[in-house]
Amino acid sequence: MTGLSRRRFLRVAAGTGATVVLSAAAGTARAEPGPRALRVYVLVVDGLRADEIDPVLTPNLHELRANGTNFPAARSLAVAETIPNHVMMMTGMRSDRTGVPANSVYDQAHRRVRTLDQPADLRAPTLLDRLAATGRVTGSVLSKEYLYGIFGERASVRWEPFPILPVTGHAPDLATVDALLAMVGESDPDLVFANFGDVDRVGHADLTGTTLRAARTAALWSADLQVGRFVTELKGSGRWLSSVLVVLADHSMDWSLPHRVVSLRSRVDNDPALAGKVEIAQNGGADLLAFTGPEAERPAAVARLRALALGTEGVLSAHAPPELRLGPEAGDLVVFCRAGWRFTDPTVWSNPIPGNHGHPATEPIPFFVAGGHPSVRAGVTSAAQARTVDVAPTVGALFGLPAPEGGYDGTARLEPFASRPQ
Amino acid sequence: MFRAGGALAAVAGAGMFGPTAAAQEAGPFAHGVASGDPLPGGVLLWTRVTPVPEAVPGSGLGPDVTVTWEVARDEAFTSVAARGAVTTGPARDHTVKADVAGLEPATWYWYRFAVAGVASPAGRTRTAPAAGAVVERLRFGVVSCSNLQAGHFAAYRHLAQRDDLDLVVHLGDYLYEYGAEDDAVRPHDPPVEMTTLEHYRRRHAQYKSDPDLRALHARVPFAVTWDDHESANDAWSGGAENHTEGTEGTWTARRAAAQQAYAEWMPVRYEPGGRLYRRLAFGTLAELSMLDLRTYRSRQAAHPFDPAIGDPERTIAGAEQLSWLTSGLVTASAQWKLVGNPVMIAPVRFPSTLAPRELDALSRLLGPLLGPPYNVDQWDGYTADRARVLGVLRDHGVRDTVFLTGDIHSAWAAELPADPLTYPLTRESVGAELVCTSVTSDNLDEILGVPPRTGSLAVESAIRLNNPHVRYLDFDSHGYSVLEVTPAAVRMDWFVLADRTDPASPAAHSVSFAVPAGTQRVARTGEALR
Repeated sequence: MTGLSRRRFLRVAAGTGATVVLSAAAGTARAEPGPRALRVYVLVVDGLRADEIDPVLTPNLHELRANGTNFPAARSLAVAETIPNHVMMMTGMRSDRTGVPANSVYDQAHRRVRTLDQPADLRAPTLLDRLAATGRVTGSVLSKEYLYGIFGERASVRWEPFPILPVTGHAPDLATVDALLAMVGESDPDLVFANFGDVDRVGHADLTGTTLRAARTAALWSADLQVGRFVTELKGSGRWLSSVLVVLADHSMDWSLPHRVVSLRSRVDNDPALAGKVEIAQNGGADLLAFTGPEAERPAAVARLRALALGTEGVLSAHAPPELRLGPEAGDLVVFCRAGWRFTDPTVWSNPIPGNHGHPATEPIPFFVAGGHPSVRAGVTSAAQARTVDVAPTVGALFGLPAPEGGYDGTARLEPFASRPQ
Repeated sequence: MFRAGGALAAVAGAGMFGPTAAAQEAGPFAHGVASGDPLPGGVLLWTRVTPVPEAVPGSGLGPDVTVTWEVARDEAFTSVAARGAVTTGPARDHTVKADVAGLEPATWYWYRFAVAGVASPAGRTRTAPAAGAVVERLRFGVVSCSNLQAGHFAAYRHLAQRDDLDLVVHLGDYLYEYGAEDDAVRPHDPPVEMTTLEHYRRRHAQYKSDPDLRALHARVPFAVTWDDHESANDAWSGGAENHTEGTEGTWTARRAAAQQAYAEWMPVRYEPGGRLYRRLAFGTLAELSMLDLRTYRSRQAAHPFDPAIGDPERTIAGAEQLSWLTSGLVTASAQWKLVGNPVMIAPVRFPSTLAPRELDALSRLLGPLLGPPYNVDQWDGYTADRARVLGVLRDHGVRDTVFLTGDIHSAWAAELPADPLTYPLTRESVGAELVCTSVTSDNLDEILGVPPRTGSLAVESAIRLNNPHVRYLDFDSHGYSVLEVTPAAVRMDWFVLADRTDPASPAAHSVSFAVPAGTQRVARTGEALR
């Protein structure tokens, strides 16, 4: 990774009149000029549901999907949260190898629940740094502060999300696409990894989520408009014919009514054997429970925790982290809620937002490959169960990048390509 | 369920169980050949031999004989892939089943049997695609409710004449228990209601004497399950609506007889004492779970307001089968989870605004109706089991589940609301249900006594108004369906017969609905599949 002292800043005027600031490792800010065979853009529409792609509401996404290869059986992987799934996309590895099982975990070293938003939290190499090491230019345009945080300076060119909206901690899609366009215009990376946060952030807060989804619908419309802006720019600049777009979500979204909440904190605290010895990292649709008492008590305590969780209305299942290929960062027990429910810990007031994910109901995602590159097959549907972890092996294969040490956990999805684009 | 309508014939001639003439005229293979339950490496072959004239079905007469079989890669049997021999005899009514292994996946084969130097007609069959194989397309014939007394099996002939089917799915009521009826298009043999092993065997033999059914069996493998009429109307684990304990023997004995005859006479990997529910896989594209909703079910609720309907102690599938089904749906590696489902799972609330005559006709179809009626023989009568299945689909985010259903003698395309309260606003569905109509059995216009597509239209409209998730309903037509499965969609084409009493009846495409991948919704679609 590049040290702070060696980075430099690029100021680029965006089409909307704003100025976009990009940071870059010294000497790797711009791809070689001249004709290029392949550009890959991984576009994550955060929290998008496949059934929300619609010819009227989201015409740009709909057209891209129709003119590409669609994976309707695609799924996010546990825990269906933003940070772990973005990490899986870029590493091609499951969470027990990346060290990133959820957005929020109990940090045993620091004895507190925290968000995994530090560069050191991600233990595995990513496409962003591996591809850059081969001399190619990679870029990250991540709208959420914590994503920018964990991916840090792995890409050769980065955008630090700005302006950040209060409460949601993300930059609006308009600014994100400004930055994306500025980065492509200025540095023209071989690979860009971009995250659009509006659909997710508005979805979380949409009080009409269980029925009308009024705010969510507006966000879908505007996110689609921004995707359309990007495609138009690719076409206008002549890059379209060398472009492969991998469009997917990191998870979907499920809405719950205010009374459909699960709070394990009070139940744990009312249990004499567990009180004061359990930390809970609440992840919306999943609770990660960590036992902090004496080691000798752990097996019995975890069994007790499991029974307590499974006896709670709204709980779907409880898993030892290895069952889900999650590492020790996930604690001792991962508990999922049922569809139409959410966790709210530590108190019943802690999670007031109606839209949540992290539970299995939110695993189905849109996932399709599109673009103007002549090798991209149009109008194809694949029965394959594509996963977020498949992105890195797929994109890596396109660039001829060898698998990382220990191999990929994902599968290269090459059905969308008539031939290898290289 | 479905009552056949009309009184049973008097038992005149009930004791005269004469041998069926067909058996003797057509040589030792009068009941044709069949195949079923295809696997990637094998398929089950079936026939029945009549080695001596007196070995008529159900008679218990005739010697044990050895029947040889061969499976070839070509119609002329020049390239033989497998051979074997099976011994049969009166103990299994001279039926033959050979579970052939060692075949290539996704391959057409031809097969035939021989006994005492006489060869059977050749049949054609197809193995399933290999596990993990990419499959671009599957096409299945889908049928149910073939009452021989109610008409001719022209539907089977039309399916046999197609050249694009990988499989035929029969969802039950393959045969009916009723005795010969006065107004029957073709009277049943034996002429009495079947209650004994001899009756069940003879009835199976009569059905397999039908040339259209024989032609279809010889052309395509089947995946079958039973509904109630294979034993008796509205069967449950301890009895049946159409069973009188004592005068008709014990239910235990009667059901054992029905199941034994079924195992003997059907091309299915099932033997008495085993389980009929099973799963067939078709590469990464689809898997088909065939359900048995009679063997383990609790007794039907007394009426639609019976609080027992929601009692979690009551079951339609049995705890073991329900766990098998739900865990299979969650862990499926195939995209499309097809469920061969003998009775409807979509909730259907029948409107109370219908005229008395319409309500009466519905009740003759469905059983007694009180107030807003539900069909308590369907999953509607076992709402705890249904909530569990639909809850698993929703909670685990299971996509692309399609129930293929029969029983109700009508054509339906419906969505399965995730939450009935919010469905009208969100249209959020956890799966789809496509219901094929009956091959012949009576439906609403016949019970109302009105021409097709007249009196039933008002009933259909009222039901659709009351049930917004029901996207299509045709209460009148008879025929068959063709299901196409691709990664992009599952679609069903419904074909209707012009006249079920005419053995030469033409069939016409009536409507098509698709379930686009990932949507859990049904949408009307275009022209019939070619």
